[in-house]
Amino acid sequence: MMWKWIQRLASPKVFYETSNKLIPWFLWPFIGLVLLGLYWGLVVAPADYQQGESFRIMYIHVPSAWLSMLVYLIMAIVGGIGLIWQIKVAQVVAKVSAPIGASFTLIALATGAIWGKPMWGTWWVWDARLTSELILLFLYLAYISLNNAFDNPKTAAKASSILAIVGLVNLPIIHYSVKWWNTLHQGAILEDISNPSVHPDMLWPLLVMVIAFQFLYGVLMLLNAKDEVLVREQNSRWVRDLVTGEQA
Amino acid sequence: MTLAETLSFLPYGEYAFYIWLSYGVTFLVIAELFIRTSRNHKKVFATLKNKYAREDD
Repeated sequence: MMWKWIQRLASPKVFYETSNKLIPWFLWPFIGLVLLGLYWGLVVAPADYQQGESFRIMYIHVPSAWLSMLVYLIMAIVGGIGLIWQIKVAQVVAKVSAPIGASFTLIALATGAIWGKPMWGTWWVWDARLTSELILLFLYLAYISLNNAFDNPKTAAKASSILAIVGLVNLPIIHYSVKWWNTLHQGAILEDISNPSVHPDMLWPLLVMVIAFQFLYGVLMLLNAKDEVLVREQNSRWVRDLVTGEQA
Repeated sequence: MTLAETLSFLPYGEYAFYIWLSYGVTFLVIAELFIRTSRNHKKVFATLKNKYAREDD
């Protein structure tokens, strides 16, 4: 049953139609949750007793850092599936995820630097957490340029997926960097949900923002994957009918 | 007076500059993603339409 469903979804046409239906289910929860999370985090949550108001940067810094790793994981796994079973749709999802993940990484690094200035007195230190996150950005950029370096989309998917899988080794390094090394960066906030290191009044809006960002990734990924599917399948009858029939 | 001090009249006082700057950067990066997505969508449709029109000739 499940396998049949996966096989069906691997058909570019079914994937395209399913994406069309799914997009509103990601877009509206994103808009609702991000408004709720922003109001909760910026207005309702009390100031931190140590960091004052500056901790509010957490509500975008943590979700984007979390997504920067999650999207990489998805990209590597889905890319690997596309590589092993030669599934076009999987290759498409991996490819269009990269610029989104790179953007989340950029946000995590930028907001981290802006937060670091008043808290640590510096925009940047070559500390384990920051350096491994910067390496993640470079991995994304290498993946994107490798994907664009080949004319044949199959070869491009093959080369870039291998890079993504090799780069997976960086994810545990980012995650455990705050434990393995002495770093300026504080420990994980979401490590143990039953025993949070943050007061619930501050934690709830953070969870809302993390979920909102996941929906945001869903929207952007599906929108881009749809167009990429059309390009790859441009010689199919259904794409021709769809494009000339003016239904976007 | 530093920029951070100048902007301390905004909500969040001494941290106003840092908070608004980080939220501003985040907004711009995400907005850019949506703009790029929409531009690419138009480009794909224009290119494909062109291709099919040429093939029909």
